[in-house]
Amino acid sequence: MDIVTSLAVVTLAALVHASFQLSVSVLTLLRSHSLGAKRSKARTLRLTTSFVIGAGVMTLLLLALFSLVLGQFFGSDAPDFVWAVACGLLVGVGLVVWSFYYRRGKGTTLWIPRVFARHLSERTKATKDPAEAFSLGLTSVISELLFIAAPLLVSALVLIHLPAPWQLVGIIIYSLVSLLSLLSIWVLASAGRPLSELQKWREANKSFLQFASGGALIVLGFFVYVCKILTDAAGMS
Amino acid sequence: MERGGLVNIVKRGGARASESFRRDKLHNSIVAACIGAGAPTGQAETIAKNVTEAVMGWLATKPEVTSHDVRRVAAKRLHTHHPDAAYLYEHHQTIL
Repeated sequence: MDIVTSLAVVTLAALVHASFQLSVSVLTLLRSHSLGAKRSKARTLRLTTSFVIGAGVMTLLLLALFSLVLGQFFGSDAPDFVWAVACGLLVGVGLVVWSFYYRRGKGTTLWIPRVFARHLSERTKATKDPAEAFSLGLTSVISELLFIAAPLLVSALVLIHLPAPWQLVGIIIYSLVSLLSLLSIWVLASAGRPLSELQKWREANKSFLQFASGGALIVLGFFVYVCKILTDAAGMS
Repeated sequence: MERGGLVNIVKRGGARASESFRRDKLHNSIVAACIGAGAPTGQAETIAKNVTEAVMGWLATKPEVTSHDVRRVAAKRLHTHHPDAAYLYEHHQTIL
């Protein structure tokens, strides 16, 4: 895979990551609780900004960790069976997202363990200062690991065979692109858009988001399979 | 004694202990929904006061209700004042 194709794969994986909704839900709740507690706009902005930064830092750290571990095990080029596992995981998670991502019924309740959801909900309510909001951002990304592990894994596999400066570029691209949905909500809410409007939009479009996330995972899985495994098998790399 | 003060509220699913009705808790949750829906603070307080009064009127003849019933009645009353706030109030527990 050349550098452009590699960065394109990383960008698509990051877009898939961005389409997942747990961090967006937590950010919506955080803003809702902060406004409800009659905190000032500046304080609410500090809380939500810290949350977004926390989510970005954890994404960056996770991708760096995945890359480091894979690099330690396989050097700069992982064997084809690891790529095959990653592609299978992408397709599998894509099918799971199509089937289970949202719970049935009204709202945008997600298929994450209810213990996690309750913990996040309670912590969101209890968050009063930016440091807590930052750690909530870190935690919300970890809670989503079940879904984001596949795009992180394939991005890490792509990154380890790039030259070091491009690895850094790839990690930064992934971290920024994966934050796009959070940043959109943060900008809209900070600009004064009512939360009810944002939540209504999310609920009205949840089926589309679910289809797009699952579809993009499956497409990415097939693309990487063809681009890496079939090309290697045909001796064209 | 304040109307509604002796009404027992059975929590969701009956898993947690029931508690007495607290006017301030209902008032604050409605204010939060109104502000989240973009209402100014003054308007949010006025709406919350009206809705809380209406819910307490409904509670006056009942010894025990579920928290779900309180939420449903409050959302219905809130809908007449501010539909977007009612949406947020109703769906607050289904965001995550």
